[in-house]
Amino acid sequence: MSLEQTTRRLAGLWLVIVLACVAHNVWHWVVHKRMPVTDMLAMLPRDEQRPLAAQATQALADAGSRRVTVLIGGADAAQAQRAADAFLHSLGDDISARHRVADADSQAWLTLYTPVRAGLLSPQARARLTDAPTTELADQALAALYQPVGGPRVGAWADDPLNLFGQWLAERGQASRVRVQDGRLMLTDPDATDRHYALVLIELSGSGFEISAQRALQPRMDAAARAAEGQGAQVIRAGVPLFAAAAAEQAEREIHTIGLGSLVGIVALTLLAFRSIRPRLLVALSMAVGLAVAASVSLLVFGELHLVTLVFGSSLLGVAENYGSNYFSARQGLEAGERWAMLARQIPVVSLAMATTVIGYALLALPPFPGLRQIAVFSAVGLVAAFVTVLWWFPLLDGAGRMAPTRFAHWLGSRRALWPGLKARGLAVLLLVSVVLAGWGASRLRVDDDIRQLQSAPAALVAQQREFARLMQAPGLAQFFVVQGRDEQELLEREEALTARLRGMQLGAQAISDWLPSLRRQRADAALATRRAADMRPVLAERLGQPVASSASTQAALTPKAWLASPASEPVRAQWLGRLGEGQGTVVLLRGAESADTRAALAALKLDGVTWVDKVGEVSTLLGRYRQLMSAVLVLGFVLTWAALAWRFGRAAWRALAPTALACVLTVALLAIAGQVLQLFHILPLLILLGLGVDYGIFLLEQPGRHETRPFLSVTLAAASTLLSFGLLALSGTPALHAFGLTLLIGVFLAWLFTPLFMPQDPGSGS
Amino acid sequence: MKRRALLIALWPVAVIAEPGLAQAVRERLQQPEWLRGDFTQTKKVPGFAKPLVSTGNFVAARGRGVLWRTLKPFASELRLTQNEIRATQGGQTSMRLDAAREPAVRLITTLMFSLLNGDVSGLADVFELTGSTKGASWQLSLTPKPGALQQVLKKVELEGDGFVRRIQLFEANGDESLIQLTGQRVDAAPEPGLFQ
Repeated sequence: MSLEQTTRRLAGLWLVIVLACVAHNVWHWVVHKRMPVTDMLAMLPRDEQRPLAAQATQALADAGSRRVTVLIGGADAAQAQRAADAFLHSLGDDISARHRVADADSQAWLTLYTPVRAGLLSPQARARLTDAPTTELADQALAALYQPVGGPRVGAWADDPLNLFGQWLAERGQASRVRVQDGRLMLTDPDATDRHYALVLIELSGSGFEISAQRALQPRMDAAARAAEGQGAQVIRAGVPLFAAAAAEQAEREIHTIGLGSLVGIVALTLLAFRSIRPRLLVALSMAVGLAVAASVSLLVFGELHLVTLVFGSSLLGVAENYGSNYFSARQGLEAGERWAMLARQIPVVSLAMATTVIGYALLALPPFPGLRQIAVFSAVGLVAAFVTVLWWFPLLDGAGRMAPTRFAHWLGSRRALWPGLKARGLAVLLLVSVVLAGWGASRLRVDDDIRQLQSAPAALVAQQREFARLMQAPGLAQFFVVQGRDEQELLEREEALTARLRGMQLGAQAISDWLPSLRRQRADAALATRRAADMRPVLAERLGQPVASSASTQAALTPKAWLASPASEPVRAQWLGRLGEGQGTVVLLRGAESADTRAALAALKLDGVTWVDKVGEVSTLLGRYRQLMSAVLVLGFVLTWAALAWRFGRAAWRALAPTALACVLTVALLAIAGQVLQLFHILPLLILLGLGVDYGIFLLEQPGRHETRPFLSVTLAAASTLLSFGLLALSGTPALHAFGLTLLIGVFLAWLFTPLFMPQDPGSGS
Repeated sequence: MKRRALLIALWPVAVIAEPGLAQAVRERLQQPEWLRGDFTQTKKVPGFAKPLVSTGNFVAARGRGVLWRTLKPFASELRLTQNEIRATQGGQTSMRLDAAREPAVRLITTLMFSLLNGDVSGLADVFELTGSTKGASWQLSLTPKPGALQQVLKKVELEGDGFVRRIQLFEANGDESLIQLTGQRVDAAPEPGLFQ
């Protein structure tokens, strides 16, 4: 069977497969209206060693990821409240927003805690009851009785002369700056107490990272904010969904500008080179097929697609440009009948080029980043699909007749002659210059894997978040403790041991056990309070000159079940994780744990069932670990590629690989010299550079003569297209994409520049 | 996120119910920046057969705060300022509320000053006022406006002439206090350090 017959059959088969994939895509995206996942957390490695910590983080993140908090500030409470009403009115009833508090709700905490008040002591009260002499306690109780203003007190003086319950409640109140005022959630500025804010909580349906929820909310919140501002109020918005929305918006904007720019550039280049749009349409077809098949296979493998996979995967697919470009460069100037002979010559070359790239991409699946695995599968499958399309469909679609070589194509291809083939001395000079640059770069090399470097939220949003944090003084969510116990009571006792240590370190902790003490603690506290009350009673009676009624002591204790069922537990309920691993788990949040020293001290705390979780630190450490891992993968990639090249080119293989290796080293050096702080997203594209650059080496080494125009035309067109697609990512405002684009911009240019220099002087004369 | 107020929180409404009455009372009062005087407090608390009587002195400084010094039957001090409310005995703090954490502190301090000083416009923000005047003397009956204050106070009765002489507090929990003020002096030398 001739190549033509085989190709025709395979083309038919491929058509069936491609149509099936297209149908699958239509079914998924159009019929079922599914959206790509935009949750950035899904791209981070699942914490493989500490699933409990990951579960806790996930639970906390879930609780926060759907909530937007709006603070509406006015010169006085009335203005803030008017503006809040305007905001809510504009927002509409169908969005779940909370601002007003029913009387019954604001009484819920009293309903829950009053019956069990005997067992509730603040740490200060406990210490005082333990240490203070009875006369001192009696003095304190009497002073409260005589003073016209006391602390908040529930019930009669005789029930609780020292107002222990009032103190305990007051301490609970300190956990938050939000107060119910006139049946609304209100807040005053801690630094300017006459400035008032109305608080509105908006709960999104679904994860805040999901595009549809953001889309629906954003314009309506903007309109509501304008309505509030119309009342002369200041509007501060904070919450994870806002950041997710901003990131998605920026990505979309860049797809429009950068994407359009690269499309225009690439089309213009094709028209110049081939004087026909057909090659570009066919190359586009090969990419589209690649995308459709990649999306389909990835969906089958992973069940969903992440937006980042689409962005990165499509970029990686850009390498497929090389194959179509090579086909038309080779086809140019040939009669239609000659295409099969040409194809027979090209198949091994392009296959090798494809194989070396797929090797690089497949290695992406090695590190345990779920996102990277998706990208690896997506791009490798897409690449193979695009390659197959070039091989099986192009010969049947490239049109009858001779493809006349254009003047531009000829001119471009003949520029190859400008490159001298370097001999030993030339190579030595190039090497020396490279070593000097590499040395300079190494001296300035800075590496920082802090994930916060990758944030690129709009300044206005960051400023609002910061103001929000100042007003709310809420505990941070980036670092916390996870506490576990076999059962609820052991868990609460362990939490109490932890919070006691934290108080000793002068750190503010927000823990469930402060709201729901363990039964053991409740019993001990109730016994202590009862004993000291009995001590005091005769002293009080003597000073007052009349008997004091004994307080009605209750044996009731607060159970986790009752607590969880009450609306009063709502403020801290997100910290109750419930079932965690073998037992029960909670999260203890902290205030004032920002400094590195404090974090180190906290990480060093060793208590039963207590685990320190520093998500920012851990992700940063992981990014660093993967950066090192990727560097190793890169070296491995070079070795494997060299082996593949040696299989075809024997001892000359180094000529195809060395330019790319040199480009890699110099790219890193130049990035360092330019002051870039290196991280994972600088190393990742080097792997793509390996795939791309080696293709150039392969194409040129196949026909290494300085007067061979076709390989150089192919390589130059491919490199130019790559620079227009990847290189333009250097313009992105997203730090990760910028790093990615800049690395490829420098790397691909250098690889293209160096490759001709490494070709042998006379065709076929090895080293 | 939702937290409950643990202290009374007041919502000022700048409407005076009976401007004529307020004006009449204000005309009769001397309202110096610094006011000193003595008090006798008689408090009836449910569960106690005999009323609780205490005596002492006080300082009320406009815009600064109130110092309430109980001398008998034993010494204790209550200091209300813009930033905190603090009770001490023998130099030891037995209760402290911080305005930065409890916004109600300023409102309580202002209310206490208004009662001692007869600051009618301040009181009209949170109470419905009724009352009468007779010669140089006047009397006011104060009912809290709807809001958190109603949960603490049922009613306040004020009487006076050039100064407030008598304050009767009827608390929501059944406590009743009669505070008699005597020996008020307007020439009190300012002591700014008192409320720092």
